[in-house]
Amino acid sequence: MTALVSVRDVHRRFGSGPATVHALRGVSFDVEAGSMVALVGRSGSGKTTLLNVVGGLDRPDEGTVVVDGDEVTGLDEDGLSRLRRERVSYVFQTFGLIPVLSAAENVGAPLRLARTPAADREQRVALLLELVGLSGHAAQRPSEMSGGQQQRVAIARALAASPRLLIADEPTGQLDAETGRSVMALLRAVVESEGVTALVSTHDPVMMALADRVIRISDGQVDA
Amino acid sequence: MRTGLHGASIRGRIRADAGPLLLSALVVLLVSLLAGAVPGLMEKTADEAVRDAVQRAGNSAKITVSARWEPDDTLNGRARLPRLADDVNDLRLRALDELGSELQAMMRPPVAAVISPTLKVTDGSVLRTFRMAYLAAGDGPQVTWTAGTAPAAPADDTAEVGWYAPPWRVQVGVSETAADLFGVRAGALLKVADERGNTKNVQVSGIFRPVDPADPVWAEAPWLLNPAADADGAGTTRFGGLLTAGSLPDARLAFGPDELERTVVFSPDTTVLTWSAARTVNATVVSLQARSASSNAVDTTTTWRTGLDSVLDEVTAQVETAEVHASVLLAAILAGAVLVLLLAADLLVRRRSPALILARQRGAALTALGAELLAESALVALAAAGAGCAAALLVTGGVAWLWVAPVLVTAVAAVPAYGILHAASATRDRKTPANRSARRWARHTGALRRAAAEIAVLVAAAAAIVALHQRGLGSGLPVLAPTLAVIAGAVLLVRLLPPVTHLALRWSLRSRRPLAVFGTAQASATSGRALPVAALVTSTALASFALVTAATVDHGLAGGAQETVGADVRADLTDDAAATTDETARRIAAAPGVTGVVTGHVTDSAQIVADGRLVPARLVIVDSRALTGTALTGAQALVRSAGDALHEGSIVDILQPGKPAVRLTASGAAPAVGGATEVVIVDVTAGLPAPPNTIWVTGPGATQATDGLTVVSRTEVARSRRAAPLVAGLLRLTWAAAAFLLLTGLLGFALTAAAGAPGRWLTVSRLRTLGLTPRQGRLIAAGELLPVATVAAVGGPLLGALVAAMTTGPLGLRVLTGQVTDPATVLPWAVLAAVVALFLSAVPLLVRVEAALRRRLRLAEVLRVGGPT
Ligand SMILES: Nc1ncnc2c1ncn2[C@@H]1O[C@H](COP(=O)(O)OP(=O)(O)O)[C@@H](O)[C@H]1O
Ligand SMILES: [Mg+2]
Repeated sequence: MTALVSVRDVHRRFGSGPATVHALRGVSFDVEAGSMVALVGRSGSGKTTLLNVVGGLDRPDEGTVVVDGDEVTGLDEDGLSRLRRERVSYVFQTFGLIPVLSAAENVGAPLRLARTPAADREQRVALLLELVGLSGHAAQRPSEMSGGQQQRVAIARALAASPRLLIADEPTGQLDAETGRSVMALLRAVVESEGVTALVSTHDPVMMALADRVIRISDGQVDA
Repeated sequence: MRTGLHGASIRGRIRADAGPLLLSALVVLLVSLLAGAVPGLMEKTADEAVRDAVQRAGNSAKITVSARWEPDDTLNGRARLPRLADDVNDLRLRALDELGSELQAMMRPPVAAVISPTLKVTDGSVLRTFRMAYLAAGDGPQVTWTAGTAPAAPADDTAEVGWYAPPWRVQVGVSETAADLFGVRAGALLKVADERGNTKNVQVSGIFRPVDPADPVWAEAPWLLNPAADADGAGTTRFGGLLTAGSLPDARLAFGPDELERTVVFSPDTTVLTWSAARTVNATVVSLQARSASSNAVDTTTTWRTGLDSVLDEVTAQVETAEVHASVLLAAILAGAVLVLLLAADLLVRRRSPALILARQRGAALTALGAELLAESALVALAAAGAGCAAALLVTGGVAWLWVAPVLVTAVAAVPAYGILHAASATRDRKTPANRSARRWARHTGALRRAAAEIAVLVAAAAAIVALHQRGLGSGLPVLAPTLAVIAGAVLLVRLLPPVTHLALRWSLRSRRPLAVFGTAQASATSGRALPVAALVTSTALASFALVTAATVDHGLAGGAQETVGADVRADLTDDAAATTDETARRIAAAPGVTGVVTGHVTDSAQIVADGRLVPARLVIVDSRALTGTALTGAQALVRSAGDALHEGSIVDILQPGKPAVRLTASGAAPAVGGATEVVIVDVTAGLPAPPNTIWVTGPGATQATDGLTVVSRTEVARSRRAAPLVAGLLRLTWAAAAFLLLTGLLGFALTAAAGAPGRWLTVSRLRTLGLTPRQGRLIAAGELLPVATVAAVGGPLLGALVAAMTTGPLGLRVLTGQVTDPATVLPWAVLAAVVALFLSAVPLLVRVEAALRRRLRLAEVLRVGGPT
């Protein structure tokens, strides 16, 4: 199998002078296409920073990131926008839904940006909502849904434009254990059914068990 | 500190939230300066206006007292009364006494004058006229005799003159200037005759030079010093003969028993006349005139005549109108200021929300939180108000606290009030009710409360407008009418906006443009906030109202000047010059650049009976086709009336002394003629004697063509009215109010944008993780601001224009524009379009600024747990 993501010697520092925080110190690893990788580490170990760099939301000070054959670290703003529109999607701890749009419209948002024809869009939104078990909640606004439901909508949205890579940063962090577990199971299931590669940071042992591979990170470095 | 308030923390927070605080301070400062200074400035301007009006009125503002002479007839003729000058002086003292001390203080020392009728000089080809005058004021006027001697009494100073004796010799002095001009020498006999051709025996006893030509006494007969051109008709030159106490009795004998009038003239002292004194002066003047002897009394009782009361009446009406207008504008300014202060407070509390909630959760009492916020806002507000009031004090010497108070109270109380409400509601134990009906009930009561407030605003606005239309502009409710009407309109627009943006969202969801969807989604999410929309619409609408008012006054001034003059230039000719009017008119008509010349006879206060009622009116006898474009028959008249005394169909009788009245039928409406309220226009064929005394000239060359005549020009009238203190002051205040309200509108918009910015850019960031480019993100941010901006930019000016159209009539602007009727509302389209452009262009500008402020904030940070702050 080929690597969909390859990270080479990535450094990321915050601040300057004596207050400099060296959040990533030479991180390197590969993620195989179609696999689900759990990124594990204590709070403050650099998980979020790493995911942001991989997904092109942040730039490393040193090192390269290649996603699906494109060097993310070399892309300009428009290139990054296209990458996010077409190949990489995110699921955040705080869900990140658009509050004024219904669940269905939130899921359909990436398809609108991709200018998918309306009929196809509606069909795919319906399919995805069914996939995440929220067919009956299509018209609800995020504020009218529980946290678990919101995260399911977020997962459906992340899958909408059929990305190659799904990045999830502690997707269950704001959910209770029970709900978190079901969201994890859902994530695992959709990775299978949609054929997407997933990079998920987590504290949750259940997630680790579900993952194809676990990368441990501490103090900005990947544990051997 | 013992109170537990930490000075340091207040200072720290002030620094952290410098933006909204500075902004509030700026608004408080500007308003306390404007509102504090305007009433004082108004008072000063009113004083100036009174002086200006009196000065402009010239002779008609003077008070003239006259009394008949003691009879001088004897059995065989008339007796020379040697003490005549003493009689004149007696009259002067008597008038001074009757005037009363209060009025004396407002008047310059009285001048007694005896002025002869106009005589024609019969010796030459040039048109020269001659008058004799005796002037007395205390010990003036002083002259020195450069040749000959002062006029003196004949040896027999108690002579008797028989009825048929030859003309009695009068000695006069002639000024050096006149003597040089006409080659008159001491001892010369002047060849003069009255208009009936009776020659007079006038001898120049000496040539004099005034000790002080600027002595105000000379103003009563300036031609005594310098010959006056055109005083008695075009091409004439009038010069004068000075009488002395010695020769005054001879002058009386030279004319018919009552041809020589003795008068005492009081000129208002414009250096001491004030607005507050004007009312008492007016009352006294009216009563003096009322007590006057009727014109056919045979005794020597004084007769008082003056136009001062009507001058003061007019200026009083103007000052009152201007004062009320200033109040209307100040009310608008206060409304704009209060709303923008509320927006600033709202923003401040939003920014402090986390800290407030934290403090509350840690157990801080609401009162303690409130006190701390109060201390801070009081510090800022009082400092700003202090600076503003100090400036107002410097400018006007006083501060109108009543106007400053509302803004100060808002500035001090808004933040603590909002803060307490916010902290209380955010940390209240009582959560949203669990059961559905309770939730609905809570929602309903909220909606009911809001609806009740809105209805209250609408009712107040309606009441104010009705009061304005019924009672006219006075103090109280009508002054608030424009502001309340605008607020009511803003409330309606606030209600209208959410459904409109909601519709737009529904429509855009069906469109294929993703940006439209996200933009309208953001817009519909935020358009429900009532305060920003209300504040912005109110500001732009009131600014537009002020701009429309300014344009209306401006336009009205031009219209008023047209009404007053009736053409580009009007030449008013004295009766003596009327004989040459037609020739003059022909000469003018032949001049280049003159497109129209109309001559007519104008009589003020003609005795006219309309439908059996006496209606003094301005009578204009004219070639009706030339003046109005339609020919009247000899039995028709055009009429114009402020009330209903003259109307179409009225039977109009024009009374003539010693002749039967001419009866006409009013067949239509007359144009305004010279600002008179009652006008009757009659054709020359109606059979009324009409030596033309007025020439109306139109065309670009009108001014040149009438050079040398006494003329009133339209542009000159408009210019001088615009420069009059009240009008100029009010226009300045109107512009200042418009500028201030536009400023509060823009500040309000910036505050609104700042309050929504965190949420807006969080959404933009979220959308950017879905692949939106930075530019598309800015477009969506702009889309969110656009509805509010559009409502303010378009709805505001429309609302302002509508309110102006509803209120300009009752606002009584005609008093200021000099028009007969109230001016029609004038919409300055270009200026209003500029307002629209200003607010619409603020959107991309604000978005650029917001984006620039967030450029250093990376997406990665925005989306970290907790989101951006
Ligand atoms: N914007 C920033 N400025 C300074 N330090 C930062 C910033 N973002 C992250 N850090 C620091 O980098 C380290 C890694 O943080 P993060 O990637 O969020 O860890 P994790 O997601 O594993 O909890 C932490 O020490 C954190 O304090
Ligand atoms: Mg993290």
